[in-house]
This record gives sequence, C-alpha cells and structure tokens, in this order.
Amino acid sequence: MTAMTSRPLMTVRIAAAPPQKLGTVSHGVRSIVPVTGGDFEGPRLRGKVLPGGGDWLLLRADGVLELDLRITLETDDHALIYMRFLGVRHGPADVIAALRRGESVDPARYYFRTLPSFETATDRYAFLNRIISVGVGEARPDGAVHRIDEIL
Amino acid sequence: MTSRPLMTLQVFVAPPQKVGEIPHGTRVIAPITSGSFQGPRLRGKVLAGGGDWTLLRSDGVLELDLRITLETDDGALIYLTSFGLRHGPPEVLAALARGESIDPSRYYFRTAARFETSAPQYGFLNQLIAVSSGDRRASGPIYTIEEIL
Repeated sequence: MTAMTSRPLMTVRIAAAPPQKLGTVSHGVRSIVPVTGGDFEGPRLRGKVLPGGGDWLLLRADGVLELDLRITLETDDHALIYMRFLGVRHGPADVIAALRRGESVDPARYYFRTLPSFETATDRYAFLNRIISVGVGEARPDGAVHRIDEIL
Repeated sequence: MTSRPLMTLQVFVAPPQKVGEIPHGTRVIAPITSGSFQGPRLRGKVLAGGGDWTLLRSDGVLELDLRITLETDDGALIYLTSFGLRHGPPEVLAALARGESIDPSRYYFRTAARFETSAPQYGFLNQLIAVSSGDRRASGPIYTIEEIL
C-alpha cells in the first residue's frame, strides 16, 4: 500500500465581487461569484490573480456547496496559468450560517476541500500540467484562501 | 494535508478500443469488465459497463477519465468518477505498454476521485474529496484511494 504524500504548491488568495444570485435552478441554488483579483505564492511560483475568472457555486439539496472555479494566474515573470477546480464545502449548520453572515470562522470547523488542475504553455511551469493537487480552503469575509498541496 | 484510507480498488479491463489520433492526442478507451473494492467502511464489486477514456497528450502525459459503478456487499450502487494523470521515464512507460509488472514508485500515477450515491449509509461519499495512487497491472489498474481530511 502506497502512502499518500504531498508538498506545498502555493497559497492562493482570491478577491471576489458580490455574488450574482441566480436562485433555484435544476440542480440546486446557483450563485456566481466574479473574481476581481488576488495573489498566489509558493516555493516555486508566485504572482497575481487576474480579474475575469469566477466561481460557479451550487448549493445542493444535501447542504453541500459545490465550487467550480476558473481563474487565470499571472506569475511575477509574466507566465499565464489557467487554474480550475471543483470543490466541496460543508459543515455544522451554525458554522455555515456564520460563514453566510460574513463572519470569520476557524476553517477547522468546516470541510472545504478542492481538486485544482492547471494548464500552462510556459516550460518552467510545465510541471503544473503533470500533477494532481488538493486544496484546503478558508472562507473569509473578503474572499477565499486556498492552501494547495501537490500530491507526490 | 492529511488523509485516511478509503478503499483499494482493482478493476479489470477488456482489450482497449484504440480510437487513435484525435485533435487532443491519442484516444484509447478501455472497457471495464469487473473488479472489486474494499476499505474500512465499504466493500463490494465493480459492475461491468464502465470504462476508462484515456488520452495520451502531446507532452507524453496520459490522462485517465474513469467512470464506473460500484455495488457494495449490502446492495448499494455508487457512481465513481476519477480523473488522473500518468507519466514517467520513457523506459518505464515502454515496459508498462508491454504489460510488464513495474514498481509503481517508478512512475507518477495519481487521480482525483468523486462519488455519487443515494444510499444513506454511504452518503459521506457525496461530501468528500479523494485522491488515489495507481498501480498499473497488465490485467488493469489497482487504485489506493484516500479521503482528504
């Protein structure tokens, strides 16, 4: 049996505009959150989040919030990286209610995990095209912070 | 990042359907004929009818897109999707292509797995993120799947 090991890839901080609340659609309650900016930093890359991406959120009937994020990263040496992930967020009702009110909550009190993938044409970051990674999310009043680990 | 074992999954594949060169790479579809899975909280068999829609990209990375149905020993159905990447040194990949047994630590074979089920006793599967490491055997792959905590 192979033990799962990982190493830090980057921490991504995302700034978001107010959500576009579409309401109840066929699969749940849909909200779309435009991404306005942000930054990312890790041992091997750093830079900023470009405006223009978004997170297409779906609140399912079982209370789980599904995340479907697509953003573009620009490194400090001007490479573009397309990042997307699917994720889930759920937790005790009182914790989720506090998050919805925009309060700061210890992220250990809820489950917020993502599966990011990357695309880049820049050779020095091509390793991103070849890895599976996992993110641990933290919902903050001003946006989300994702600590992403590469699965080794 | 912390994780805990979810299950070990072994699938058996029929001869691959080699679609060949398509705009995104080389497409090969491997029908799944059977298999089994077991872990601390669930066990059972893999139903026939799923498949792995693999794509060999121009950068040498094999993308895996597995969709199968699991049936637990108490009769629940679970839909499993797994998106993965496999790559490694050319000689290792060539040996795998010849059907040889290779130590899986010699190549990178990792996947991200998602589950869907309506069975209440397995509802936790709907709410978790999981990753797996794969071991490619001639008869089909073996996946060690871990729940991300």
